[in-house]
Amino acid sequence: MSTKSERLKRRLVRELVVENLELIGAVPVRPRPRPRRFLPAFKVAALVFLPAAVFASSWVLRTPTTGAEEPSPRRVVAVLDPAPEEPVRSAVALEAPRPVPADVFPLAVRRVILDAGHGGHNLGTKTPSGLLEKEITLDIALRLREALSADPFEVLLTRDDDRFVNLHDRASWANDQRGDIFVSIHVNWLEGSRASGVETYYLGAAEDSFGSELASRENLDSGHTMAEMRTLLEGIYADLRQDKSRELAAAIHTALYGALRRVNPELIDRGVKTAPFLVLVDTEMPAVLAEVAALSSETEATMLARPLYRQFIAEALATGIRRYAARPGSEGPSAPFLRKESAR
Amino acid sequence: MTDSAKRVLSVGIDLGTSRSSISTSAGERHVVHSYVGWPVDMVARKVLKKSVLVGEEALHNRSMLDLHRPLEEGLIKEGSAKDEAAVAELLKHLLALAGAVKGKGVDSVRAVVGVPAKALRVNKQSLRKAVAPLVDSLIIVSEPFAVAYGLEALLHAMIVDIGASTADFCIMRGRIPADEDQRTLTLAGDWLDDQLAVQIQERYPDARFSVHMVREWKERFSFVGEAKDRVHVVAPVGGKPTSIDITDPVRIACEALVPPIVETMVDLLSRCDPDFQDQVRNNIVLSGGTALIGGLGARVQKELADMGGGRVRVVKDPVFVGSDGGLAIALDASDQEWERLAV
Repeated sequence: MSTKSERLKRRLVRELVVENLELIGAVPVRPRPRPRRFLPAFKVAALVFLPAAVFASSWVLRTPTTGAEEPSPRRVVAVLDPAPEEPVRSAVALEAPRPVPADVFPLAVRRVILDAGHGGHNLGTKTPSGLLEKEITLDIALRLREALSADPFEVLLTRDDDRFVNLHDRASWANDQRGDIFVSIHVNWLEGSRASGVETYYLGAAEDSFGSELASRENLDSGHTMAEMRTLLEGIYADLRQDKSRELAAAIHTALYGALRRVNPELIDRGVKTAPFLVLVDTEMPAVLAEVAALSSETEATMLARPLYRQFIAEALATGIRRYAARPGSEGPSAPFLRKESAR
Repeated sequence: MTDSAKRVLSVGIDLGTSRSSISTSAGERHVVHSYVGWPVDMVARKVLKKSVLVGEEALHNRSMLDLHRPLEEGLIKEGSAKDEAAVAELLKHLLALAGAVKGKGVDSVRAVVGVPAKALRVNKQSLRKAVAPLVDSLIIVSEPFAVAYGLEALLHAMIVDIGASTADFCIMRGRIPADEDQRTLTLAGDWLDDQLAVQIQERYPDARFSVHMVREWKERFSFVGEAKDRVHVVAPVGGKPTSIDITDPVRIACEALVPPIVETMVDLLSRCDPDFQDQVRNNIVLSGGTALIGGLGARVQKELADMGGGRVRVVKDPVFVGSDGGLAIALDASDQEWERLAV
């Protein structure tokens, strides 16, 4: 084997080792190149200010540059505003963020944010008989708020009437309210012979094409493509919030399926899954999206039309929330906290 | 025992949706179906006399098992504890088959595990969690890179790894592939199974068959182009075992895979540095189980001829090429690097 080939292999193995060390947090993650769209603006700025920079370089620029070197954004800023000498923050000098073990902070659940999917002109799914997802989700959210009224949670709704709130605003509002958990309520539409069942999502990569399609559909108001979101998500998937979201999703799903199966023995358990729904991406707290039924199933559509079944769903969701709040490692619902219901 | 006297075993593992393989520095090579099953009840456990079954054995006894194929789309299904456990069992089984079990003649196991190109950080971390109890040090690598390393096609080459759930395309530029060097299509072996099932059902509406039967037919008979012989299989029709001719369904289903593969190749080629496009074009490698479709390499090369030409070769041993590549990486990494990567 040639030495050149050996050298190449040696270098690649070294890079691979570094990539794996980054994965386990043993070395700082290498900064990724900025997206290309920033370059033209920067280049224009550099062209405009470069003569000034050269002129003033004897006192402004502490580090000499060669003519071939493209000025860095930091240097351009220095030319524009030479007076304050701010310390430069270097990505390389910073310690890499590491996941925090989940048991470091036993977290209490105090403020529960409920998100009734769709609303206003956004109807969601609907049956031929005219049953609308936006109405069902709101009804269940209101019932759930009532069901939790005896618990020491503060319950807030992203909407408590029939109006349109875009996905980003829902998440931002939940963040502003400093919610401890976020539960988004939706009703599914499934194609094929197994067009029924319940499933609960938390943030992660879509596990299958259905998850991708569903997330794309629900994210229509986001303005992001799935490709853009993938980059965004990379940094989020590994954090503490995902572990908590997974626990919340498991608690809610187990309660939901367990309770509903008693009244609907044919209910299909579609499981706890991951998908990049925007409301889960933008929220800063453990967040889940529960598809509490499927309107595509005639049986479930008929049952959803009955208030009693919607009450079952609300009660089941409440049970899941309580179980999550009371799980080992949690402080449980904060007793001294003001017991209060409020809506947006 | 001193460090130098430690018996270190290096292994390369290709964790696939359909099959998983292992190659070790002791010369062992094994492949298993990526199925894991647990007996559904006490009766099943009594009949099977095992608490967990893996591979072919699990597939054959599927009626008595809670059967999992834990790597759908090549990734551990996030959020499913059962599938994480299934991956751990699968790895345990592979390592045991290959004699890579600590304490049994081996003091230390160093593993390189190949994952699909599109595996995200979180999937890799799930995998790391599953492998941690079984090995001492671990490197996770994208599968096309492992293939390229094993074939020493590291510069100006295109690797197309067509597995069960994904077809991973990767341009090798003498560096660890970045996002822009890679593409993933979810049109691969499983998709082909679906197409084949649809084709057969259309021709024989009364025939009954399972996905496992279709998968087996595909693996035995798949081809593109002219059929050398007619393909006949036996399936129950109206409850009676009947011989049916599936030659055309097999050909149609397999040929449906060609256009997206060629389009993706051309798209990736068009993004290569023009100075090296010809070199890459003439160094295209098909690997993975689905690359075993009869005549696929020649057909892809023929399609490419209309788009500027190119040379396509199918690896001789697609089942082990990934795990062999992983093993090569494991052997090339230094002791010091392995120490840093201890789990």
